[in-house]
Amino acid sequence: MTTTTHGSFVIERAYSASPQRLFAAWADPTSKRAWFVGGDGWDIQSYELDFREGGRETSKFLFLKGEEMFGEKTVFGNQTVFNEIVPDERIIFTYSMDRNGVRFSVSLATVEIKADSKGSRLILTENAAFFEGADGIQMREQGWQELLGKLSSFLNETGATQ
Amino acid sequence: MTARNTTHATFVIERDLAHPPAKVFAAYADPKKKAKWFGGPPEWKSQHTMDFRVGGKEVSQGGPPDGVVHKMSGEYWDIVENERIVLSYELHLDATRISVSLGTTEIKSHGAGSKLIYTEQGVYLDGYDDGGQREEGTRELLGQLESYLKT
Repeated sequence: MTTTTHGSFVIERAYSASPQRLFAAWADPTSKRAWFVGGDGWDIQSYELDFREGGRETSKFLFLKGEEMFGEKTVFGNQTVFNEIVPDERIIFTYSMDRNGVRFSVSLATVEIKADSKGSRLILTENAAFFEGADGIQMREQGWQELLGKLSSFLNETGATQ
Repeated sequence: MTARNTTHATFVIERDLAHPPAKVFAAYADPKKKAKWFGGPPEWKSQHTMDFRVGGKEVSQGGPPDGVVHKMSGEYWDIVENERIVLSYELHLDATRISVSLGTTEIKSHGAGSKLIYTEQGVYLDGYDDGGQREEGTRELLGQLESYLKT
């Protein structure tokens, strides 16, 4: 028996970087990997980014607390397809999340980048469908809040050299 | 810089159908059956191809004679037999992408028939379309599905 729920959220965040630098952090595989994957508690098994319309991003990462939280070795998988890319302005993508090969969510995400006097503003809108055993919309929003914070740190750390 | 804008909208359409879930699911899963109800009016001469598996693609393309070509390009993201189908799709008018959507079709056993719940979450681009129009078009499509199921 399947259960499906739907949810959405919007996150707005200001960055001191220009729209061009902000966009490049999504477009360049090395930059994207630096803020998008990794971190404490995760062991990255694979990451690939083909940033073009119709291109894919795939990653697999071992959750180190899997035994503790799920009672088994736990590998999460992420697959993304880029639907639309407008340089420095807009990225629309569809992505799924799997846990040990079982799909638990599919999302449609829109990232909009707008110039402002202090740099740029990023607006992320996510619409998602969650299946059996999914994290749910609140944890997903929290996850993106953390990622967009890591993006901010990445831009600050690399600002002097770019 | 071109003025770009987006609007996001979600709609849900429910239908009680007099047919069991397996028959409703087959109308989505079997390309020959889906082609009978999914698509524009007959004069659009829509071309339809689909590969019904997770990661498989679906394309439906057509339009009024000498008019704008409407192209739907989709991809299947989740399929649970007789229960759930998740399809993302883009809609183009000629070369312009006007929307990207995530559509979830749920089929539940309901009395002697089934309940169909279709939820579409979409982003509409640069003012070409909106959620209200899309919902109206989708209601027409589901009406065509109902007529097809009666045959």
